[in-house]
Amino acid sequence: MAANINSDKPVALKPVEKFDFFNDERVRSVFYQLLTLAFVGGFGWYLFTTTAHNLEVRGMGSGFGFLSVEAGFDPDFKLVAYQAGVGTYGDIFVIGILNTIYISFLSIIATTILGFSIGVLRLSSNWLVSRVALTYVEIFRNTPLLIQVVFWYIGIFSLLPKVKQSIDLSAGSEVVLLNNRGLYMPWPEPGDLLWLTGLALVVAITAVFFLRRWAHKRQDETGKIFPTLMPSIGLIVLLPVATYLMTGSPLGWDIPKLEGFNFVGGATLPPAFLALFVALTMYHAAQLAEAVRAGILSVGKGQKDAAMAIGLRPNRSMTLVVIPQAMPAIVPPMISLWMNVVKNSSLAIAIGYPDLVAVFMQTSLNQAGHAIEIVGMTMAFYMFVSLSISWLLNMYNKRVQLVER
Amino acid sequence: MAIVKHEKTPARPAPLTERSVIGWMHRHLFSSVLNSILTIVTLYIVFITVRDLWVWGISDAVWIAESRRECFDINISGACWAGVLAWMDNIIYGRYPREELWRLNLGLIVLAIWMAPLWLPRVKAKILIGLSVVFLYPFMAGYLFAGGEKGIFMQIMLTAAILCLACNTLHSIIGVSGGGGLREFLFRLPVLKDAPEKSQRNILLCLFGVSFVAVFVWQIRWNLDGVPWTQWGGLFLTLVIAGVGIASALPGGIILALGRRSRLPVIRVLSTAFIELFRSVPLITVLFMATAMFPLFMPEGIVLNKLVQVIIAVCLFNACYMAETVRGGLQTIPKGQFEGAHTIGLGYWRTMGLIVMPQALKHMIPNIVGNFIGLLKDTTLVSIIGLFDILGMLRAVSVDGAWRGLHNEPLIFGATLFFLICFVMSKYSRRLEQKLSTDHKH
Repeated sequence: MAANINSDKPVALKPVEKFDFFNDERVRSVFYQLLTLAFVGGFGWYLFTTTAHNLEVRGMGSGFGFLSVEAGFDPDFKLVAYQAGVGTYGDIFVIGILNTIYISFLSIIATTILGFSIGVLRLSSNWLVSRVALTYVEIFRNTPLLIQVVFWYIGIFSLLPKVKQSIDLSAGSEVVLLNNRGLYMPWPEPGDLLWLTGLALVVAITAVFFLRRWAHKRQDETGKIFPTLMPSIGLIVLLPVATYLMTGSPLGWDIPKLEGFNFVGGATLPPAFLALFVALTMYHAAQLAEAVRAGILSVGKGQKDAAMAIGLRPNRSMTLVVIPQAMPAIVPPMISLWMNVVKNSSLAIAIGYPDLVAVFMQTSLNQAGHAIEIVGMTMAFYMFVSLSISWLLNMYNKRVQLVER
Repeated sequence: MAIVKHEKTPARPAPLTERSVIGWMHRHLFSSVLNSILTIVTLYIVFITVRDLWVWGISDAVWIAESRRECFDINISGACWAGVLAWMDNIIYGRYPREELWRLNLGLIVLAIWMAPLWLPRVKAKILIGLSVVFLYPFMAGYLFAGGEKGIFMQIMLTAAILCLACNTLHSIIGVSGGGGLREFLFRLPVLKDAPEKSQRNILLCLFGVSFVAVFVWQIRWNLDGVPWTQWGGLFLTLVIAGVGIASALPGGIILALGRRSRLPVIRVLSTAFIELFRSVPLITVLFMATAMFPLFMPEGIVLNKLVQVIIAVCLFNACYMAETVRGGLQTIPKGQFEGAHTIGLGYWRTMGLIVMPQALKHMIPNIVGNFIGLLKDTTLVSIIGLFDILGMLRAVSVDGAWRGLHNEPLIFGATLFFLICFVMSKYSRRLEQKLSTDHKH
């Protein structure tokens, strides 16, 4: 004892480690994980064997061979050539995916524009306007989307006038027409040299990009502001237009014409498409409006006061101070809303717009069987879209974090 | 000589443009030329909309008629609410036998009585009451709604539910009248108060046993006719699916969320995969999966009916959404709480159950209500796969002989009904959020 106290070395206070097999944390964690694995594996094995047995008993085949079998039906809206009786279930899958992407894409654009507008109106200093925007948001948020979809379809777009009394949306020139069979509009027919106009547009956009970068750099270094807005618009508009005219206007329009009982030519959007488009847009715009409002409100009042104090005009304080700070709060909910638009476009099935779920998961599944393959393929598509969108979101978050420092 | 004013100058009232109605209008409606134009245009649009809606829906509407034709004969420019009124029972109760409707109403009343204590002041043990609603009420409601033969398990659960409801009610009455709770009340009885500590427990157990047996014997003679699920429908079916969905989603969501935050990689990966799988696909695909694939998963001879398939699908789907809500709630709990719990020697389950979850759940209530609103709205999707929920019933009006072609009025009625339910709930949850957040600030 005494020797210990007098020695220079400090006493090593090492806890006595007694290995207790049943109470050791590591042993337990391995045990629990193995248990979970065994449970999940057992359940999976049970599902696999039961399903295999059931398929055998019912004489149902499995495998993806059915994708090259002819599908005997013809979706009434498609973006690619397809012939009933020749086209396969694989073609149907592609048609469904394209239709889903088409309506989702257009709805997402419209939702974003409408949602931002309403979100800004919600914050308007005009009491009446902000109340009207609030009413819009509350009505569309608090009723089921499916009822809205069905209502737009049955209550609005199916009750439009017949073909002979079409509503002319192009103010008398009869090129854009709306009736109970859908929306008819001209469709561009590209000529030989149209690609030059496209090229001009690309060149203009690249030039604008470099111009803005140069202007930014100059402002950072010298403090002089170079007005980029007017030159940018000029470049983007004038260059392609000039090219277009110089190459001899190589673009024709296929205009819908009344022949017999229906319009021929041009592009047609069926009522189901229009109803779904309007319903998706209105519903999600209401939710986006709330996200935009919350995002703008999340920028502290002090920021606006400070912007005013250093002499920024209201619109500059909005574009330079408020919006850059509000965007990180707005963009993540907005991107997940985009995902919701894609998912909710599957409500098309209720009104007969041939999206992926309607043509593949319903019609094809009823005709061809192969439930597991079809359900798996459909879900895989949505999962792929979802993963892509979350990837987008992660990219954005990373960028924002870097900017924030 | 200094000029000193001895009395305080009273504050002058604000100028008229700042305080009167005119001032308010000047500031909020006509502050600039642009604003004035905006106000007038908006006012015009609102006026036109409200007037047209009023004329169509109220002043020109037909309330009493036998068929749609008659509606047209009376007034063609108004809404035909007579059709909605004629179908009202179907819209609310579906095809449930009319002489048995009292069972549905009784079920709703029982739920109201059971849950009322949660909002009453001075009632203790609200968490226990809430749990009993989630875990026992479904059995009682299930028997009330479905009826028919009860197995021994159902009988025991039914007895437990009745007993629990009775205790709850007694407990709440005692609590509201200021007597603490049922426990304190029992211990104030002379029999218990004077008994030695050991026999106190035995007496309570005996009391419980006797009442259990009594209720059990009573419920054996209580027989209700079976109502097959195919006759369930309308708003009732929507509420059943949404109710079961939310009640089972909470425990499921808590387990999945804990799994996702677990330190054990296998459990974390499995939970994350499960959650993300269901969150990335639309509900309708899950419903199709349930109806197309569940029959293949069942051993031979067992057939699940469509309602059960749908409910399972809704539960799985919603548990994953709830898991994210719970995860969000867990993230609001500062790390110090976990560390504090560890320091006083609590293990994982006690840390979660006693320290973390009670705080996190409080933060989550508004989001859970939001989740429920979303689920209630999403439940209308079951009409696509052929169940006659409220939307199915609303659309069925237009194929009824007398009301053929009556589409819009039922849909607008349904939308209004949903709007009222969801709007009130979301307003309430927002108020709750404010109340809870002020509670949190010390």
